[in-house]
Amino acid sequence: MPTAPERSNIGVPDSERRLRWVLLGTFTALLGLILVSGAAATRTLREMHRQEQEARRALSQRAQSLSKLYISVEIYNQDIGRYMGEPSEKPDPEVRQQLDRLTSEIGSELNGYPPQRKPGEAAMLKFIDDLYRQHLELYESAIGAAAPPAARGEVLRLRAQLLDGSGQLDAWNGQQLRSSDETLLAEFSRLQASLTGSLAIALGAGLLLVIASMAYILRLERQTRNRYEELAQSRHELEQLSSRLVDAQEEERRSISRELHDEVGQSLGALLVDLGRMSSNLPADGSEIRERLDHMKALAERTVGTVRDIALLLRPSMLDDLGLVAALEWQGREVSRRSEMEVAVESANVSDELPDEYKICVYRLVQEALNNAVRHAKARNAKVRVLGSASGIEIEVSDDGRGFDPQRARGLGILGMEERVKRLGGSLTVQSAPGQGSVVRAELPLPVPAGSTA
Amino acid sequence: MKQLRVMLADDHTLIRAGLRLVIDREPEFTVVGEAADGRQAVALAQSLAPDIVVMDVGMPGLNGIEACRQIRESMPEVQVVMLSMHSDEGYVLRALKAGARAYLLKDSAEADLARAIRAASEGKSFFSPAVGKVLLEDYMRTLERTGGEDSYELLSPREREILQLVAEGKSSKEIANLLNLSVHTVETHRARVMQKLNLRGIPELILYAVRKGIIS
Repeated sequence: MPTAPERSNIGVPDSERRLRWVLLGTFTALLGLILVSGAAATRTLREMHRQEQEARRALSQRAQSLSKLYISVEIYNQDIGRYMGEPSEKPDPEVRQQLDRLTSEIGSELNGYPPQRKPGEAAMLKFIDDLYRQHLELYESAIGAAAPPAARGEVLRLRAQLLDGSGQLDAWNGQQLRSSDETLLAEFSRLQASLTGSLAIALGAGLLLVIASMAYILRLERQTRNRYEELAQSRHELEQLSSRLVDAQEEERRSISRELHDEVGQSLGALLVDLGRMSSNLPADGSEIRERLDHMKALAERTVGTVRDIALLLRPSMLDDLGLVAALEWQGREVSRRSEMEVAVESANVSDELPDEYKICVYRLVQEALNNAVRHAKARNAKVRVLGSASGIEIEVSDDGRGFDPQRARGLGILGMEERVKRLGGSLTVQSAPGQGSVVRAELPLPVPAGSTA
Repeated sequence: MKQLRVMLADDHTLIRAGLRLVIDREPEFTVVGEAADGRQAVALAQSLAPDIVVMDVGMPGLNGIEACRQIRESMPEVQVVMLSMHSDEGYVLRALKAGARAYLLKDSAEADLARAIRAASEGKSFFSPAVGKVLLEDYMRTLERTGGEDSYELLSPREREILQLVAEGKSSKEIANLLNLSVHTVETHRARVMQKLNLRGIPELILYAVRKGIIS
């Protein structure tokens, strides 16, 4: 049987299970990729923000320190100028004091300036440092002595230099700001590039996933179609098989019936004739032998009856001897005789030239329906109607029994009837409800006789 | 005395042998031929022209009823005694419609065959007693279960008389002579009988008579 290996294949094949896992894995990986790149982007952004803040803070600190230094030097310059002041005036001790404080302040600030310096910053610092030293020199030379007018000119020259320096400081500040912006921009474009990359990978993977899924779906669809076709095919085969079984069964019954009738029946018949002849040829005084003979004859007659009944059940010879209608009428009377149910048979336009398989189908259908009516429905009356037409035969068997629910009680009898009717391309309906009797109705289309138009 | 020429038709040799023994016992009968199936029976009857054909209902090829119809159609003077295993009215009626005169059950053929052949040769009907019994039982049961009434009660005494004579195989003219009636009157009575009993044709009338035990 080819069905056994097919059955074991009903489970999912290995390749398919693998494909399913691959699809699931790809999907998970894609999701993971999106999540990871999202998290990375967020982290990078936060980091960039922090760095920028820090850079700005550092920058403003440096700028402040430098500006403070510069301003201190400027004040230093002014104070020196004032200290040297008018020649008539005595140097102001307060100014002197402030100058000393400034001297030490600027010096310590220059010494304590953080050692890591950017090139511009270092230049700026060196410039301030130079100025400071020149001022310090000037101041030291001015202490205790009246300042020469040349020294005052020196102060002015230094002030001019200071003014120059203020421009440089501004320029440096601006440059610092610009360079920090550039760094930020570079960071941004790096982030953008990395995000674009992630997106491209995610899109690519998604596309692959879609293609793979489509392929998977198409394959499933094809498999489903194949399965359906296989199923339909095997159903068809099953139907053919059961129809062959019905044929074989009828054939077998016919041959057994024939055998019974020909061999057993006829031998018994001949025996009966002989027995009868013997008993009538017997001398008048042989009453004991006559009694034995009568007993034997009665036994043989009973046996003939039994054999005949069995043969008829197997193959209703009326179908061959009398045709379908008479056989159905006979059946109706036979059921009436043997049961409590009275059967009426009506028929119209039923041809006696029906093919044998149609006759036997109608006959067995009616037999089964009447059998059900007697055995299960305990009906009192049943009606068989057979109507013939050019295109087919309509059969209806109704009874007044206790009925049943056709949806629930589809016994083997009804299935068997359905099987026979379907085999000839007909249809069967069963109408019944508890307490409502039942109606079995069948329609059999007749084959168009070959050469009927000729 | 003129011997009755009898032909046998049955598909079983044993049965034919048994029948032949029974017939040979009667001095006025002689078996002139044997056929083993329906077609052979028709052909043989046509070539032998026997007085009586004793024929089995169930034969291969052409069944006995069909063979009987063909013989009676081509040779109305040949009478047929039908042998059957069935006492059912379907068989009896069809045998009668096919033109058989007598209907015998095989079980009792040995006892009744001589009487049946004699009756048939005289143009009378004959039925195995068991046949009438079964037909009557069927009739009574149906009446009882369906609550119908026995249509025989509807007939007048004269109509019953005519029913019996017709069933016995007598023609309208014979009946008219017998009862001192005009042929027309007999035929009127006859038509009324058929109508009251809802019968179509002489075979159904004979069957009815057998069922009611009017003839046997």
